[in-house]
Order: sequence, then C-alpha cells, then structure tokens
Amino acid sequence: MKLSQIVHKFGCTVYTKDLYDPEKTIDFAFCSDLMSDALMIMSTVKDGETLRDSVLITGLTTNQSIRTAEMLDVEVVLLVRGKIPAEPVIELARESGIVLLGTNLTMFNVSGLMYQEGIQGISLHK
Amino acid sequence: MITLDRHFVIVPNDYNEAGKASSELKRTLKRMGFSRDLIKRVSVASYEAEINIVIHSLGGTADFKIIDDVIYLQFIDCGPGIPDIELAMQEGFSTANEVSRLNGFGAGMGLKNIKKAADDMILVSDCNGTVLKLKFYIREDDKNVG
Ligand SMILES: Nc1ncnc2c1ncn2[C@@H]1O[C@H](COP(=O)(O)OP(=O)(O)OP(=O)(O)O)[C@@H](O)[C@H]1O
Ligand SMILES: [Mg+2]
Repeated sequence: MKLSQIVHKFGCTVYTKDLYDPEKTIDFAFCSDLMSDALMIMSTVKDGETLRDSVLITGLTTNQSIRTAEMLDVEVVLLVRGKIPAEPVIELARESGIVLLGTNLTMFNVSGLMYQEGIQGISLHK
Repeated sequence: MITLDRHFVIVPNDYNEAGKASSELKRTLKRMGFSRDLIKRVSVASYEAEINIVIHSLGGTADFKIIDDVIYLQFIDCGPGIPDIELAMQEGFSTANEVSRLNGFGAGMGLKNIKKAADDMILVSDCNGTVLKLKFYIREDDKNVG
C-alpha cells in the first residue's frame, strides 16, 4: 500500500507533515503495545528493506514508540484508537525522521483492514 | 585505536528521556558508516539495557566505546540488583511495575533480546548494583557501508 492510501482509507491524521511522503510503500506491519515485543520480533528480520517498508501499529503514544521505531529503522508509526500524541512526542518523531500517523480505528480493525490489502505481518525469523 | 568514547548518565523513572543515550549512539554509528545490521543489533541491545536501568534501577550510567574493530557497551547501575540472573534471563519473566508497562515495557524480553543481539555478554549483579558488558565485533563487511 502507498502511504497515501493508508492515510486516505483509514482516515489518518498525519502528525509529521514535513516527513510525509505519499508515495512511500508499506508492505509489512507489526502491532504491539509492548515495545520489547516489537524489538524482539522485528530485530530478527535480516533484510533491512523490509523494516523500512514496515509500519509499527501501537496504542503507545509516548516517546518510547518513536524510539523503538528509530532503533529498528522502521519509518512509520501508526497510533490507534484516536490517541493523540503530546507535542514533545511529535517533536521527537520529527527529529528522528519517523512519520507519525493516527487513526480512530482500533488496533484489531486497522490491522485486519491492512491485511486485506495485502500487508504482511512480521513474524519471528529464526 | 579508540574511535568512540561516550559517557551518559541514566536517570531512573524518567520515561521522557529514556532511550536518549541509545538514540545518540545509533546516530553516531550511522555517521561512522557501519552496516545497518550491525547498527541495529547494537542500538536494540543498548536501548533495552538503557530502559532496564530507567525502569528497574536506582539510576546508572552507560559507556560506549569503539576500540579497533570492537564496539563495547557498558551499563552500570546503583542497585537494587538482580537476585536471580538465570530467572531474569528467561523470556517472559518480569518484575516491571504498572507504570513501566503503561510505557511499553515489562514483557520480560529485554535481557534475552540483548543476549541475542550481542556477540558477547557479561551480566554481574548483587544488591549494590548491576553491571552489563556487551561486545560487538565489527566485521569487514560492516565497514564503510552507510
Ligand atoms: N538493571 C536492572 N536492575 C535490576 N533488575 C533488573 C535490571 N535489569 C533487569 N532486571 C530484572 O530482570 C527482569 C527481566 O529483565 P528484561 O529486560 O528481560 O525484562 P523486563 O525489563 O521486565 O521487560 P522488557 O525488557 O520486555 O520490557 C526484570 O523484570 C527485572 O526484574
Ligand atoms: Mg527490559
């Protein structure tokens, strides 16, 4: 999916307008509110391109979701259930080069819809 | 030759600053042109270790060094220490409180993740504090990529 399709279909708010590239493609996703789960699973992906084409879907609106994405080279974070990040979190995303999006959809629903669009889940690579 | 030597103070329970040292480390390694894979392993391990000091300890320090072809990370904190290291290393074991869980941590995956990422890990702990030493080897194909 193109980032612009994600934003359009799921009614996303783009919190980091200056970093937003509508043409960026997203092929993979992982969702969790526990950052160590994301760090554990996503760091087993060997191909760096995969992570760059991934989105981290989370309900965690703190700095730590941004930091986690940064450590993993994941470039897009999608906040679910209409959670609004505080200004310093948006600022950190900007500074870290992370595109920060928000949708009113729940984690399950937005994940299901993305899956239907062909976005693959990231699973543990041994 | 020493090509990196940085020292950071890690403040306990400061969830806004948590991860800052690891983030700076990552940016420095990027500037130094190492491979993505190496940088990712080092930053993920560093971040987990830094967060552990923030959420489980009374505060501590992080030291990042590169000497020749080895990256050394050292984390030292002022206690209370890990009573049973073997248990702490088990996936899913966590004593993290509600506040850290609300901040996205406490899955009990961190130490395991660190061990997997690093080429070498030494964890020493008693009631005075915990010392975590990590080593990452810089291979020829990790250099001058970025
Ligand atoms: N620096 C430390 N000081 C004291 N106890 C620690 C320290 N680091 C880890 N521990 C103990 O070891 C346990 C396991 O740590 P680990 O990093 O694997 O998981 P976690 O921090 O609880 O959760 P996660 O890392 O998945 O967010 C912790 O719950 C804690 O009891
Ligand atoms: Mg931990």
